[in-house]
Amino acid sequence: MRRGSVLQLVGLGAVAAAITTAVALLIPWLPVSASKESTRIHFVYWFTTVIAIVVFAAVVAVLAYSVIHFRARPDDDSDGPPTHGHTTLEIVWTAIPAVLVTAISIVSAVVLAQNSRAGSTPLVVQVTAQQFAWEFTYPNGKRYGYLTLPKGRHVKLEITAKDVIHSFWVPEFSQKQDAVPGQTNTLVITPTRLGTFPVICTELCGLGHALMRSHADVVTTAKFADFMKHGAGGSPGLAVFQENGCGSCHTFRPAAATGKVGPDLDGLKASAAKANRGPLDKFIEESIVDPSAYVAPGFPDGVMPHIYKQQIQPGQLQQLVQYLSKGAK
Amino acid sequence: MTDAAHAHAHHTAPAPPAGWHRLTAPGWLRVLWVTPIGFGIGLGLPVLLRWAAGWHPLWDGTVLVTVELVTTPLFFLVGLGGFDYWAHYASGRPTRPEDHSGHGAYSWRDYFRVNTDHKVIGIQYVVTTIVFFCVGGLLAMLFRAELAQPGDQFFNPQTFNVLVSNHAALMIFLFIIPAFAGLGNYVIPLMLGAADMAFPRLNALSFWLLPMAGLILLAGMVTPGGGPSAGWTCYAPLCSHQPLGQVFFNMGVQWAGASSIMTALNFLVTIITMRAPGMTFWRMPLLVWANFTTSLLVVIATPFIAGSQFFVMFDRVMHTNFFEHSGGGYVLGYQHIFWFYSHPAVYIMMLPGFGIISEVIAVMSRKPVFGYRLMALSLMAILVLGFSVWAHHMFVAGMAGWLRVPMMVTSMVIAVPTGIKIFSWLATMWEGRIHFTTPMLFALGFLSMFVIGGLSGIYLASVPIDIHASDTYFIVAHIHYVLFGGSVFTIFAGIYYWFPKMTGRMYDERLGKLHFWLTFIGFNLTFFPMHYIGLQGMPRRVADYSSRFADVNLFVSIASFGLGASTLVFLYNMVKSWSHGERAPGNPWRALTLEWQVSSPPPIFNFDEIPQVVGHPYEYGVPGARHAIFGSEHPTPVTSEPVGTG
Repeated sequence: MRRGSVLQLVGLGAVAAAITTAVALLIPWLPVSASKESTRIHFVYWFTTVIAIVVFAAVVAVLAYSVIHFRARPDDDSDGPPTHGHTTLEIVWTAIPAVLVTAISIVSAVVLAQNSRAGSTPLVVQVTAQQFAWEFTYPNGKRYGYLTLPKGRHVKLEITAKDVIHSFWVPEFSQKQDAVPGQTNTLVITPTRLGTFPVICTELCGLGHALMRSHADVVTTAKFADFMKHGAGGSPGLAVFQENGCGSCHTFRPAAATGKVGPDLDGLKASAAKANRGPLDKFIEESIVDPSAYVAPGFPDGVMPHIYKQQIQPGQLQQLVQYLSKGAK
Repeated sequence: MTDAAHAHAHHTAPAPPAGWHRLTAPGWLRVLWVTPIGFGIGLGLPVLLRWAAGWHPLWDGTVLVTVELVTTPLFFLVGLGGFDYWAHYASGRPTRPEDHSGHGAYSWRDYFRVNTDHKVIGIQYVVTTIVFFCVGGLLAMLFRAELAQPGDQFFNPQTFNVLVSNHAALMIFLFIIPAFAGLGNYVIPLMLGAADMAFPRLNALSFWLLPMAGLILLAGMVTPGGGPSAGWTCYAPLCSHQPLGQVFFNMGVQWAGASSIMTALNFLVTIITMRAPGMTFWRMPLLVWANFTTSLLVVIATPFIAGSQFFVMFDRVMHTNFFEHSGGGYVLGYQHIFWFYSHPAVYIMMLPGFGIISEVIAVMSRKPVFGYRLMALSLMAILVLGFSVWAHHMFVAGMAGWLRVPMMVTSMVIAVPTGIKIFSWLATMWEGRIHFTTPMLFALGFLSMFVIGGLSGIYLASVPIDIHASDTYFIVAHIHYVLFGGSVFTIFAGIYYWFPKMTGRMYDERLGKLHFWLTFIGFNLTFFPMHYIGLQGMPRRVADYSSRFADVNLFVSIASFGLGASTLVFLYNMVKSWSHGERAPGNPWRALTLEWQVSSPPPIFNFDEIPQVVGHPYEYGVPGARHAIFGSEHPTPVTSEPVGTG
């Protein structure tokens, strides 16, 4: 190769690398990091990105150079030089990618090991997924429909599912784990940033999959101690509402719930009148324990699980019914 | 078929059957009365057995549908004539000596019957798969319309999930995999110097299973109660508890899989036993090598997806508990079995494309394929490694923890043989005389897009990054860069490249280039932004999403409509060129491989004289080099003229 063509090739590579680097840096590809694990994963991401940019730029440079310089004129019937191969070159382009992917593998394996470590005294939260709600159980036995975590402490989530496979993901924590019926999977999170982050189901789990959302609140250690002692506050009915994840499918203003899968519970009185199935309390109870008895118009049957008859104790059910009928308009 | 003279005696169309024989002869008339018999058996048998056993209710929809989806297509094939020869043979009746009446196409009607000519079957395959490509693309545009805004607009979640599931199922099982089988069917026997495939009747049957599979999948969409809506991956236990339409998915995949396995066996036997004299393995074109490795993948892996779908079907219909935790089943077992097929399936959908690209780049650059042997060996390396990486789809599934790092390493290592191929193609182009025809444009489009798809694959092979990106739109972006920017671009390259050979006419080069640029731009505008929304937090397979992704999704939806519209240019070009295109010469690309050394389209038995292979298939620029010589030619000719330009 002539020196001029080498320079031109390097120039094309530099331009390609510069454009790709700009794309990598100027677009905020990753969400903010809110956990130690996430920061490590972001490191692997950038490590891989540097290698990817180099490889991509090299390929694009050769491709662009070939397109510019080796274009045949329409009437050119000649053939190129009959090069059959070049052993050294072939060894080089086998060896270099092998080295690069080995480097990425080592970095990844180290980070994976670090991210699986929960320390000796983690906060253990049981996560139970079901169509289409999350339930988080704390060491004191209290259950919530959303996650509250202390900043700076290792948290070990023990994740399982009641019906089908779901997947727990908080993009800002970068950690994700499937919830599988019949087995308990663990996931370690060490929050580093105060705030509220979305909990998203990422495994197709049925009709309400897109709305199987909750949120994770990262609070200070002091606030978390208060949370563990007094819970989230409010009436016992609200606690039942939250424990059973009603808010992930239903809107109910008193509980600040904004779910959209099922009917709006703020309009319960109107619905009960329309359904004409007895007094409000009885209608609410029936709808919880036997959702198919009456299906609100515009909503498909079978989306609301038939599990609450077993899941909610009779006493709690009464608290929930009272809470709903009192708050309904 | 070795006796060329014998073949000439049967070059005329066979006389059509007359009178009552029209009803009993293989064909659509017989389909009309035989298929209802199959339908009746499928209906009567389960009801009768349930009545005899005293089971109630007698009419169980799931059972009936499952049995129907076996008997009705089977009897349709019986009616069409898929089993006639074997039935004669098995029942001890005298078999008709091969009269080649099933061979060749003399009018458009011959494409609608059981035809044993690999060239007819190849065209049947390609046209059928393009139909399903269009249907699958329309489904995608429907759900992109829904996704243009957050919230529910046009479809409820059930319909949305059906659209997504069937888009993927049609594109994978009814377009990409069989489109390659179709191109291979047409080209491989020609490239090998053979008169046909090793098993022409099996070949015909494997084609006809395909429209069956497609119709079953489409019928599932409109089943009362709802279509298959558990995604193309159909994870248990979700898919065992889906509406009735899910059974159509389970069974449709079986028919497509059976078709795939039969074709692969046919390719393997053809490649091993029917090469022309002198065609050693190291003289085979890389397309043949690619289909050889792909066929090995298919025969080893495809039975696994059949198994996974049977187990799910059993769980549902017979109430077994393979994947039901409550009955002691192993939930993750489904994913292990499924991905043991479906990861190799990624290579089933890619390796034939690699073969096409090798042909196109060598011919259009006028240079030998760089590092031919390493190119073939890297295919074999991908074949072997491809079976050791399935669990990288399960990094977040909760499988045995120790399995993650080994599966990451093997997944990473696959980048090495893939890299070898990319670099060798670049080196093939280097200092060549590149002709930027439409197939070459698609080859270059493939090369650049596949590099992006390969690199995003490296991100996903890394366990920590995959934990973040798994099941998000980043995956959707990655798979489309690999399967659309990869496989579909190679299919287009192959269709344009062999269009003159298959139809005897040239396609419109200007329309071809327009098609390429519209597709290339539309593709990138549609799929590149998906990387971003995925990493930011948008999961896949959702009908509704956070409003902060609204702008990007609107952009993607508009781009996807443009991408869909670009297909119209392709269809117009194909239809117009096939009917009115300029007549194609035997070898418009001045290629050396054997399919270009015969007329376009080739004679009914391909070669009037069996070629003698004397050299490598890509010796462009080598003075006096020949790939093959015909008939009376002396085996050691010394001419600098390429073969077949005259």
